[in-house]
Amino acid sequence: MANIKCTNIRKSYGSVTVIEDLNLDIPDHEFVVFLGPSGCGKSTMLRMIAGLEEISGGTVEIGERDVTRLPPGARGVAMVFQSYALYPHMSVYDNIAFGLRRQKVAETEIAARVKQVSGLLGLEQLLERKPRNLSGGQQQRVAMARAMIKTPKLFLFDEPLSNLDAKLREKLRTEIRRIHLDLKTTTIFVTHDQLEAMTIADRIVLMKAGAIEQQGTPSEIFDRPATRFVADFIGSPAMNFRDCTVANRGEVVELSSGSLHLEVPAADFEPLADGTIVEVGLRPSKMDVAGDGAHNAITGRVVLVENMGSEGQVVVDVDGRDMSLVTKAFRSLSSGSPVTFAIDADSIHLFSKRTGRSLRKAA
Amino acid sequence: MQPRRFIFWTLAPAFGLLAALALISIAGALYFSVMDRSLRYPDYDFVGLYNFERLFGDRRFLNALKISALWEIITVAGSLLVAVLLSVFLFENTRSATARNLICLAFLAPVLLPRVAAAFIWRFLYSPTLGLINYVCELVGLGQVEFLASPSLALFSVAAVDIWQWGLFFTVILLKLLETLPKEPIEAAQLDNARTWEIHAYVTLPMLRAPIISLALVKAVESLRSFDLIFVMTGGGPGTATETLDLYAYQMGINLGGRVSYASAMSILLLLITIVIFTLVWRGIRKWAA
Repeated sequence: MANIKCTNIRKSYGSVTVIEDLNLDIPDHEFVVFLGPSGCGKSTMLRMIAGLEEISGGTVEIGERDVTRLPPGARGVAMVFQSYALYPHMSVYDNIAFGLRRQKVAETEIAARVKQVSGLLGLEQLLERKPRNLSGGQQQRVAMARAMIKTPKLFLFDEPLSNLDAKLREKLRTEIRRIHLDLKTTTIFVTHDQLEAMTIADRIVLMKAGAIEQQGTPSEIFDRPATRFVADFIGSPAMNFRDCTVANRGEVVELSSGSLHLEVPAADFEPLADGTIVEVGLRPSKMDVAGDGAHNAITGRVVLVENMGSEGQVVVDVDGRDMSLVTKAFRSLSSGSPVTFAIDADSIHLFSKRTGRSLRKAA
Repeated sequence: MQPRRFIFWTLAPAFGLLAALALISIAGALYFSVMDRSLRYPDYDFVGLYNFERLFGDRRFLNALKISALWEIITVAGSLLVAVLLSVFLFENTRSATARNLICLAFLAPVLLPRVAAAFIWRFLYSPTLGLINYVCELVGLGQVEFLASPSLALFSVAAVDIWQWGLFFTVILLKLLETLPKEPIEAAQLDNARTWEIHAYVTLPMLRAPIISLALVKAVESLRSFDLIFVMTGGGPGTATETLDLYAYQMGINLGGRVSYASAMSILLLLITIVIFTLVWRGIRKWAA
């Protein structure tokens, strides 16, 4: 068990700097997800913490111990790779036991611990098999068993579910989460899948171009995105954005663009001058079909309806541009028909056109 | 034209030529091995298995058999050992691609040399009075070493040349194979607290088991054909200390006795032994590698 402290981390390849001055604190027992588009430096960050990638500047501490210059094996971390990275010529048993054997643990104790870990992950029947005779999900379980048996201070997962099919991904995700609730080992999990991040994380660290864009609980990230980038990256279908003109009406601020007229409480936002253009973000899942007189109503014409089972995604033409919303009442809608829907003022996001930062005052 | 027929007619000439060259000489050797043909007399007669019977009582033949076996083991094991150790060393200790490629180029040079040229170079290097190696030996206080004239050293000295050519060549191949391995299992082993030698002994080299076995087989076949190297360096001497089967067959059939039939019987026997041993080894390896 350990907390992690990264201070002023820098990573450069030759003259190209990919991560600059990154600071991050992870308390003990926390399940943190590094999320971001590919190339944002999340995997590099993970590999630097693991010791697989050299750190160009700054320090990494694991459990109050500076490990910046330590080799990977001496850091007390275990890692699960996207490609599983099993030793192909060894049986499942030998794969799991490899780390303990290198530490010269007695063979009887190894046997007991392999039995325990393989029981936990449902691998008892597979111990004699070679990795090539296992399915992807089984291979990833073996990789997890290999990581768990060392009872590390820190678990690292590098996109462990990306190579699995959707159903298995969901199953293993739940399993990883359950194991974490059991063992409470500090965990860092890297993914580019925002849904995966939302469902599994205690805290999400959202990265962009080698810097942390925002960190917080999944709800904080979803409901209070700090920047337009975060707002756009999180959530599916993606948030709707419109450029609107600001008009102050005392208690409320009016935002308008074409037929669109929205009102938000002025107190929730930083002061805005009349006539300023801001970018308004409307999350599809926060909007629903409403009557004509509803507050913050938007009208348009249905373009298409996508049935997603219990909900439907509706794409609506508003002033010649698409806007999507997610509603349970999608069955009454059909292409071409007019529709009115509304959004709660608390779920309207305003972003500065210049900096992309949220204009909402911190709570 | 039908594809099958096209394949047949385009392959036929090459196969025909190969068959003619291989089969005619084997048939010739078979024919002579049951005769008593000798260059001393113009006529010859059928003598059945007499030549083969005599072979098993011929101490020089049995010695040659032993030397051949030793030669195979030393050169195959030596080349692979050198290749494994050197390639792992280079893999771990050279970071820049340019340096690595230059080293590879240098390591490829020996095997590009014709055997006879390599043999002459090393005969000169080994020379007791003029040779560079003996000069170094004297500098470090070993005194003059008779590399090629000492019966206990000669076979190893010649094998060293063979290993110099093939071991370095295999080093390049193994280094390139190591580079093609996926990085993740190596990284996983690093995280599993494995030391560098453990990573290679337990992870990378076992992953390369199949190509290493292939290299061993290639080398085993190649080592059977070292006549030119041994002939130039020692001529089979001192005494019969480096006389392999092909050298003895040559001495019997062409150089000394002109006993063509006896030498033919020997080559037929060598052919049979080779086929049997390689079949057994091949089967054993396939079972083990599976």
